[in-house]
Amino acid sequence: MKKYIYLSLLTFSSLIADTELDEIKQQLKAQQTATQQLETKLYNLEQKSTNTSASFSQNAYLPDMALILNMSALSRDVKNSEYENFAIPGFIDAGNGHLPFNKNRGFNLNYAEFAIHAVVDPYFEAFANFHLHPDEFEIGEAYVQTTSLPYSLRVRAGKFKSHFGRINSQHQHSWNFDSQPIIYKSLFGPDAISDPGIQLQWVAPTDTYIMAGVEALQGTNGRSFGDTESNNLYVGYVKSSIDIGEDLSVLGGVSLAHGENTTNNPTDVYGVDLTLREQLGSYSSLVWQSEYLYRNKELISTTDKQAGLYSELVYQYNNNYSGGVRYDLITKNDTDLSAYSGIDSDNLDRYTAMVEYKPFPMSRLRLSYTYDRTKIIAGERTDINEVMLSLNIAAGAHGAHNY
Amino acid sequence: MRKIILLTCLLSSMVFASLNVDTTYSTMGTVTKKIGGDLVNVTVLGSPKYDPHFIVPKPSLLAKLHRADLLIMNGGGLELGWLPPLIRSANNAKIQNGAKGFLDMSHFVHMIDVPSSVSRGFGDVHAQGNPHYSTDPYVIPVMAKAIEAKLAELDPENSLVYKENLDKFLTEWSSYLKTFDAKMAMCKDKNVVQYHELFNYFLKRYEYKSFGNIEPLPGISPSSKHTIELINTMKKNSVKIILQDVYHEKKTAKFIADKTGAKVSVIPHDEKAVKDADTLKNFYNTIADRICQ
Repeated sequence: MKKYIYLSLLTFSSLIADTELDEIKQQLKAQQTATQQLETKLYNLEQKSTNTSASFSQNAYLPDMALILNMSALSRDVKNSEYENFAIPGFIDAGNGHLPFNKNRGFNLNYAEFAIHAVVDPYFEAFANFHLHPDEFEIGEAYVQTTSLPYSLRVRAGKFKSHFGRINSQHQHSWNFDSQPIIYKSLFGPDAISDPGIQLQWVAPTDTYIMAGVEALQGTNGRSFGDTESNNLYVGYVKSSIDIGEDLSVLGGVSLAHGENTTNNPTDVYGVDLTLREQLGSYSSLVWQSEYLYRNKELISTTDKQAGLYSELVYQYNNNYSGGVRYDLITKNDTDLSAYSGIDSDNLDRYTAMVEYKPFPMSRLRLSYTYDRTKIIAGERTDINEVMLSLNIAAGAHGAHNY
Repeated sequence: MRKIILLTCLLSSMVFASLNVDTTYSTMGTVTKKIGGDLVNVTVLGSPKYDPHFIVPKPSLLAKLHRADLLIMNGGGLELGWLPPLIRSANNAKIQNGAKGFLDMSHFVHMIDVPSSVSRGFGDVHAQGNPHYSTDPYVIPVMAKAIEAKLAELDPENSLVYKENLDKFLTEWSSYLKTFDAKMAMCKDKNVVQYHELFNYFLKRYEYKSFGNIEPLPGISPSSKHTIELINTMKKNSVKIILQDVYHEKKTAKFIADKTGAKVSVIPHDEKAVKDADTLKNFYNTIADRICQ
């Protein structure tokens, strides 16, 4: 009996062993196939991942580039031919005014601007704005700026817009209104203080933001300076900002520009600016911005003392809509006005109102109305009404704007 | 007497915090405090009540950046609209991109929703992927480790303290995650829509399904056509939860809720974005409480 049991057990176990062996054999085979498949896959992937990039490609180093387009449709109760010979008594004589933007009734293509920014190396960043008017190419700005100087310093060199005042350093497309404030236009013309030169800025190591800057510039601006036998313009400013609570911020500054005018005599321009911004939500704010400029321009035997201001209030309702009003005023005009005898040249001021629609942060439609009481047209003081619809777009890699 | 000495020691160590750290958003700031303790002085630049894409670049932020030894940013393009001009004007060599005191947290996070192609025609799409990873509680240890390594690099003398704080924090956080996951496992309704794709990391982690956004394209305001389409989608898939953030308009969400019978839940996108989210844990607890139905 025992024998039988042993025997059957033996056969049974050998049977099991046989099936086990087959199974293992099959598994091994399956694994071999799987390994082979994996190897083929790996080989194919390796073939694909071989670096075949162009040996000298520099595409990754392309600078940020943007196209800024600005255009308008405009209606004005003065003929184009008369408007372009406007005068602002005491500041701009007839035919001397330069009107680069929104000059014509009808349609205007103001500019196509090509803006470039790139990190040069660990020490410099470079910026350039190529300003293309319909029949003119201009280097609006082109400068390098340090990124890693010690002692809280930063140096900028090249052609740039001076940080005098508040609006001077900002590009036209980032202003709250399309037109330049009258006092800036009168003292400096459309490009304001923008020159080849060098700038040094220092930020104080304090809890409150205090920044001081000095600039040495060529002084090519003929309206206030313009003695270009050598560099003649020096600009200095101090700016500071405080927050009142979490949502109200105040930014103020004082500026001085000292240069030599075309009569080889000194011109001093003083500026005071104040901006208050109340944040009402992520996309809603109330901004009140004002600037006052005073110019002391020595001539051969006399001294012109002239001043003016602008004050603007802009309400941002949500991320799409905003609206604002601005008031411009010439407050002082002590100069030779004999060319305007018989013409009322007092109380030069301007009112502007606008509503703005931004479908997206990169595009902006703005409808504005201007009532301009600063101009002499064809020998007569003329109040000008203007309605304008402007479109501005910034396409491509365009960096964020400053405060 | 002993107490007084201890107290003065404590106070003086707080006064003489060795590193000034700026973080762009609140969650990262709090993680930095957990690792740095009294050795760091943390300043959060962007208020959690506002859209993190559009922080107002107030000049007062320049003074804060100017004094920083380390800037920790979210990255992934979230700060593109406000931080670069501030860094440029703060005149602080230590925190420039590429310097030792510049930490981009997105380099440590596995980014999701990375688009294969980018055009502004698709709205305000982030080329590097969805930058709103802070809503995933599992990202906190990743942040903590990256911050510990950076603090130890900048302040090697105190590296042991940072390591100790990190270990303590990681232990605490992993036990928190266990209870948190258990809590999330109780949630039944997993169908949602959101205003902006702010919560994708959280939704992915806890297997929620998002059926669309209130904004038609990232950064574009809602349109009536898109809203009606969304309402139909929600009805078809019986979506009952609308995830609303704190800073967008709430009118559209309410309108959709009226039409679909869904519930609008205001979800914080950052620590301290709502009152209940006052601490790191409460930030995630608030998300869970308001999303879980």
